[in-house]
Amino acid sequence: MRGTTKSKIVQVMFVLFLTIASLVVLYPIVYVISTAFSPLNTATQASIMPFSDGFSLKQFDKLINETNFIYWFENTLIVAAATTLCTVIVCSLSAYIFSRFRFAFRKSMMMAMLVLQIFPSFVGMQALYVIADRIGAHDQLWGLVLIYAAGNIPYNTWLMKSYVDTVPKALDEAARIDGANHFTIFFRVVMPILRPMIIFLAITSFTGPWMDYIYPKLLLGTPTKYTLGTGLITFIDGTRIQFTTFAAGAVTVAIPFVILFVLSQKAMVTGLGGAAVKE
Amino acid sequence: MGTSLKTDGSSRKNVLASSCIFMGLGHIIYLKQYLKGAFFALLEIIVLAVSPKLANMIKDMIEIGRWWGRIPGDPNSVPISPAYFRLIDGLIALVIVILFILMYIASVKSALSAYTEFCLDGRCKSNKESLHGIAGKAFPIVGLSPALILVIFFVIIPLVFSMLVGFTNWSSPNHLTPGAPVNWVGISNYISMFGGDSTWTSAFGSVAIWTLIWGVLATATCYFGGMILAVILYETKLKIAPVFRAILILPYAIPSILTVKVWQNMLNGSQGTINKTLMELGIISENINWLTDETLVRVVCILVNLWVGAPYFMLLITGQMTAISDDVFEAATIDGANKFQVFKSITLPLVLYQTVPLVIMSFTHNINNFGAIYFLTGGGPNTLASTETGAGATDLLVTWIYKLTIDRQYYANASVLAMLIFVVLAPFAIWNFRQTKSFKEGEL
Repeated sequence: MRGTTKSKIVQVMFVLFLTIASLVVLYPIVYVISTAFSPLNTATQASIMPFSDGFSLKQFDKLINETNFIYWFENTLIVAAATTLCTVIVCSLSAYIFSRFRFAFRKSMMMAMLVLQIFPSFVGMQALYVIADRIGAHDQLWGLVLIYAAGNIPYNTWLMKSYVDTVPKALDEAARIDGANHFTIFFRVVMPILRPMIIFLAITSFTGPWMDYIYPKLLLGTPTKYTLGTGLITFIDGTRIQFTTFAAGAVTVAIPFVILFVLSQKAMVTGLGGAAVKE
Repeated sequence: MGTSLKTDGSSRKNVLASSCIFMGLGHIIYLKQYLKGAFFALLEIIVLAVSPKLANMIKDMIEIGRWWGRIPGDPNSVPISPAYFRLIDGLIALVIVILFILMYIASVKSALSAYTEFCLDGRCKSNKESLHGIAGKAFPIVGLSPALILVIFFVIIPLVFSMLVGFTNWSSPNHLTPGAPVNWVGISNYISMFGGDSTWTSAFGSVAIWTLIWGVLATATCYFGGMILAVILYETKLKIAPVFRAILILPYAIPSILTVKVWQNMLNGSQGTINKTLMELGIISENINWLTDETLVRVVCILVNLWVGAPYFMLLITGQMTAISDDVFEAATIDGANKFQVFKSITLPLVLYQTVPLVIMSFTHNINNFGAIYFLTGGGPNTLASTETGAGATDLLVTWIYKLTIDRQYYANASVLAMLIFVVLAPFAIWNFRQTKSFKEGEL
């Protein structure tokens, strides 16, 4: 009997702890949602109780009709989708080649990738600016895509390679004996097997551009060409603080993110587990 | 000298010599691999044709010290491209030369290995076989080329460029306008940063120390915070546990740039909702300067980062715990271990062991965690050194580099700091490398 009482107390304490933790997590989220639906013009007048100032869609109306938000959303979607496509194809193809083929400088290339992935690529931002200028990528979304994809390659190729290593060679060798060429084997046989890791890679590379601020700020000059991270911050940087508009934008961006996350949670756990070095 | 080959290996010298004299020559005259040989030869011809241009580009990079823009006082002179264009062009030329040398080596290797095969088979490969072989051998090169080109142009060249800039005086205010010279200045930037100039040195010292403290604390708090959440969620047998899990994971699901900005707004000293709430509840009588007090702001940074970062480790550790085989737990329970013992002796060591690489990676990530600091405090509040160096109380090396580059255009000093980041991170890169399966299995 003592054991059950004790374990009941432990359970109560666990629930208490989780409740407090959940409240801390929810506090800013509730705050930003309430600000987004607030009828007030500035967040500074707001009362401390969320939702006590009333409810209105004014901020969303303003966001869509008076700002470049729609452009930003569209730009970000394009950049994120293109980055994902490039990253997935380039990384899985490279990973497959590193895993299955022996060729000149293979080891040196793999080592270079491993060393490169640890450095933050934006320390070379002056150079990226100059290179973008040189190839005409200035103020262009495709320049951003190339930079993101390139930055994703070193780490993700390694991640993918360790996954390809675990796939039995018999499968692609059988296809090779049947006379299929390398590209066919890769797209028809290998890619389907890599699906769990490809999903993980797709999610991580898709979400990257939504949060980035540095590169769009560096490369894009025209406000209608901004991506969301850079665009939304213009609301709250500088002299004119429009936190209510920012809040509406933040909520609009966060909702699809949370939905995407819920849908992909299982794949994420698998991928994150795979990222650890397994013995 | 005949072009026939002997199978006893004695023609190796001929193949080697001819391949070295001109790319692909060995393939054509000895090995009868005309297509492959022609490809290599064509490559060399192209490179030779553009070699004067390449040499010029490299020369321009080395002689960066001349003025750029028009010659001062002569409006009719041909403008010379800016120093940074010359630097980039020179680097690209250098990369092309290096790639060519590597291709050359690869072509010689390929000729020798083809000869070895010839010795074994006693005949040259038929045209069809050779073509098939080319298609097969070209696949790695063709398949890897997108990755290589992207990495070379958008990762390697920028990194090298950034290192080189540290050895020039390319910096605001005197070396940015057309007509102003940009020079190689040796290591003088390094000297002034690490001891020569007391303002910069002390600013650097405090930023570096805070960066390290931040790296350790940010990682440790997130890891253990995440672990506590994961373990408690795992052990809670109530039906509402999934609800808690869904709530607690939210900070990971929402882009951190947004949540950090929201925290910044909430923590605002005079208008922030946190101060207003505490005030109305009667807990405090005057505003707390969350983001402007030099000591408090550092604690706030770590706590906000905990809010943002703990769910990642919660997710990760949950994954690791569920991956532990049930047999282990069963065996322990049969042996009479209680829950705490099982946790201490089985779950914890296994999880720790599995997550060590991720903790190290998270540490390097935090050292470079631009967003967590820049969006919350912008590196501020300003200190005495800020006027000259721009470094605030919560600036990490990366945010300082960003501010030096974008706000002040002190490119040379920013590059010196970037180099320092390489040096600090290099041991982690090596450690990370030694940790990989490929290294352990002797593949690399």
